[in-house]
Amino acid sequence: MVNLKKELESNKVLLLIVSGLEYNDRIVKVMKVLSGKSVAYVTLNKTNDSLKELFKKKKVDITNLVFVDAISKTFKKAPEQAESVFYCSSPGSLTELSLIITKFLKHDFDYIIFDSLTNLAPYQKRDIIIKFLSSLANKIKSSKTKAIFYALDVKDGKELIQQASVYMDNVINAEEINNSA
Amino acid sequence: MAKKIMVVDDEPDNRKTIKTILEKEGYVVITAVNGDDCLNKIKEGEKPDLILMDIMMPGTPVREIVPKLKNIKVVYLSVVRISEAEKEELLKSKNVIGFIQKPFDLDELIRNVKKFLG
Repeated sequence: MVNLKKELESNKVLLLIVSGLEYNDRIVKVMKVLSGKSVAYVTLNKTNDSLKELFKKKKVDITNLVFVDAISKTFKKAPEQAESVFYCSSPGSLTELSLIITKFLKHDFDYIIFDSLTNLAPYQKRDIIIKFLSSLANKIKSSKTKAIFYALDVKDGKELIQQASVYMDNVINAEEINNSA
Repeated sequence: MAKKIMVVDDEPDNRKTIKTILEKEGYVVITAVNGDDCLNKIKEGEKPDLILMDIMMPGTPVREIVPKLKNIKVVYLSVVRISEAEKEELLKSKNVIGFIQKPFDLDELIRNVKKFLG
């Protein structure tokens, strides 16, 4: 079995493959392991409001958490920036996402969580996503920040996951994680 | 006369599944691949009684599409997790009458469609 805490500590760039069923539980567990660390949470499929709602319900400390929300603007009016939130226009705006994430890397956040890689698929071609990921992974590796990329274990995501794995220090299937971690 | 439903979703599998299920229930179902396609079809003269629209699609954001649909009832289908407060806010839009969280049970979808169409 894999110890999540050890994996998070020992890998600079980690890909975590999660099934839809345990998705919410897993993001909560990861956040609890990272408690006290400064985290930039890039969300492409849940609004920052819904994540705050979930984390509050599950008693996750969000004091050191900043969100990059790339989904809210697709269906509601949102400012460029609010307290602890940076808004990006769409999950497909990879240049915008890259610029925001690069800013966080310069501020030496402990972790960046990218949730999720497979949510980019409807918006961009796979080779463009892979170029984005390769550039991002290189920036992360030369920074003080560690990164966790989530990928949903979905039929259409398998090739993307396979190609993305090349840029990761380790790839973990969440089913292999020791549940006490 | 059978009610007409437009399914707007960028995922071909979703469009196909929902179309098949609703057609079995006796509805006339047309599809659009994104918000822009939906608007074009409305401009071309389609008059659905209800639009089932995925909230997260490439192209023009749905928040810009929905007001242009004027009096056509819209139900959002969403794989995006949103907060309760955001859900309430969305439902304040004049023509948005419901919100169905994906993944949904097909019976639940049929039940909701019947409810929304009165």
